[in-house]
Amino acid sequence: MGLLQEAIFGVVTGSYIAIAAIGFTLIYGIVNMINFAYGEYLTLGAFVGFLAASAIPVPLPVAVVLAMIGGGVISIVLARGFFTPINHTGPVPMLLTSIGLGIAIRNAIRLFGGRSARYIETETTTFRFDGVPDVAIGSLDLLGGFFVTSEHLVVVGSAVAVFLAIHALLTRTDVGIAMRAMGDDESLARVRGIDTQLIRDSVWVLAGVLAGLAGVLMAIQTNVSSTTGFSHILQILSAAILGGAGSPYGAIIGAYVIGLALAISTAFLPSSMTGLSSAVAFAILIAVLLVKPSGIAGTEVREA
Amino acid sequence: MSALDRLPSGRGDRALIAGVACLLVGGLFALTPLQASLPSALYVFVEVGITFVIYGMLVLGLDLQYGHTGLVNFGHVVFFAVGAYATAMLAAQDSFAGIALGYPWPLALLVGVIAAALLGLVVSATSIRLRDDFLAIVTLATAEIFHSIFVNFEGIFGGNVGILGVPRPIAGLVGDADTRMIATILVIGGVTLITLAAVTRLTDAPYGRVLRAIRADELVTRSVGKSTIVYKTQAFVYGAALAGLAGGLFALYNGAVAPGFFTIQVTVTIWIGMLLGGAANHRAVLAGLAIIMGLRLVSRFGLSVTPVSGDVFAAFRLVVVGLILIAVIRFRPAGIWGDPQELGVDQ
Repeated sequence: MGLLQEAIFGVVTGSYIAIAAIGFTLIYGIVNMINFAYGEYLTLGAFVGFLAASAIPVPLPVAVVLAMIGGGVISIVLARGFFTPINHTGPVPMLLTSIGLGIAIRNAIRLFGGRSARYIETETTTFRFDGVPDVAIGSLDLLGGFFVTSEHLVVVGSAVAVFLAIHALLTRTDVGIAMRAMGDDESLARVRGIDTQLIRDSVWVLAGVLAGLAGVLMAIQTNVSSTTGFSHILQILSAAILGGAGSPYGAIIGAYVIGLALAISTAFLPSSMTGLSSAVAFAILIAVLLVKPSGIAGTEVREA
Repeated sequence: MSALDRLPSGRGDRALIAGVACLLVGGLFALTPLQASLPSALYVFVEVGITFVIYGMLVLGLDLQYGHTGLVNFGHVVFFAVGAYATAMLAAQDSFAGIALGYPWPLALLVGVIAAALLGLVVSATSIRLRDDFLAIVTLATAEIFHSIFVNFEGIFGGNVGILGVPRPIAGLVGDADTRMIATILVIGGVTLITLAAVTRLTDAPYGRVLRAIRADELVTRSVGKSTIVYKTQAFVYGAALAGLAGGLFALYNGAVAPGFFTIQVTVTIWIGMLLGGAANHRAVLAGLAIIMGLRLVSRFGLSVTPVSGDVFAAFRLVVVGLILIAVIRFRPAGIWGDPQELGVDQ
């Protein structure tokens, strides 16, 4: 398989990581917490989508919308129940609470859903491009024949739509501008008359909607199980920190860097060591924190 | 009178005496033909007890880092794992997979402690300046990286099978299973008690006061002329070395190491134990850990009387563990025996 094919996989992975990373980084920037339970929001969103598509059953686009709504509702309910009451305690207790919440939700899903993976039935068209000539460098093939499935196009298309919508929201609407103001300086935003709790709630809903979408896209692309979200949380986190914690635009770039790094490292690693590709993402994360902790577009995270 | 006052407080001396006594009695069982018998109903208690005393060393090291110095290390298991793997690879003979060098076990144990301390030094040299929550992420990521390295480099670390054939010094001396378990828990428990005495000495000394000052306000501590980075690095390395010791002892007790023993679950268990008991209080963190590990016993007994499968029960236990963590942080942020004033949290 050529490097081009791996790069396509990388862009697809980067796309759903990007959608989730935007939500993650918005929570970080505005609520000022690292939400380790965020992966579970993805899982819950994916399950809502799966149940809608298989149990009710509704057409897939409707299931995706239901997953997004479900994600938003779950996110605000959990935030109201667990995070808003301890908002004043600072980042570490919030992080620890989210870790506890993540364990509880993950295992509750396992309790009711078991460990098995479930698949959403989709009709996939595969577009093959076999005529592309190989450009070989040593054992490595730069171009070569490749294929794109309709699922890939849906994932990348949704991601682009999300980027445009988020950009419009943050620059054109009052709520979005208030979010940016709060991310900059919360007390100043409050002085200016912004209802900070309302904005925080809207961020939770928005992040939940994005998590639902990312989760259901992952489910369509691969499968749904109790660890769907958890197995991606460190990649999402790496993408958000790489982009500069708190910056949605940085998170998009970070997500594609992580996605491509994962996919391309798979091409270079021997087949028995493909499991190491996740370590590559964390190695990038640590390197970023050491060399440029502010990320591509963020603020300083070192104290001394 | 709070429950804290009823805990013995002899500036760590009592722990030292108890630890040495445990070691001596354990040694007696191991070296002489003296035999002990254990009712089979107590097997499971001793088994969980051995895990408890090993994790006890982890929680004491973590408490030195977080409870006293305020370093949020969420990858503590990596030092435990590195200590265990280094010891196992050096001491093992004829492992099924991976490297087995067959050196004497005391040397291997020493190397295990040094390896964990060195890793601690590297991690702290690179990340100790990061803000609390980002330090948590870096340590967590370090643990995940090492986990996938252990799984993927089959030729060196034995992959998912791990390293087998690690010598078990106590099992080598004692043939009889009951005596062996008693001797094991006494010897490792003795080491844990001596550790408790050592960290108590350390934190009761002026040195410990500097650590707590860093936790309370790093800027003020620096302004009175203390090099906070040096203190933080030292506390981090001490904690890592203790975890390495725990890992080495675990390898020598268990006779094998595998990635499955060193998951994020270990980190979570000791963190919850520490927060539940009350950070910055050595005896309290051990008590908190005992409560959390007691849940394992409950679930083992519960499993035998309820008709559900083991998987369901394990999931249910983890839901409870997660909710306990949330509840402790929300309703009792200083833990059961912790001092809210000193920890700077409001109830």
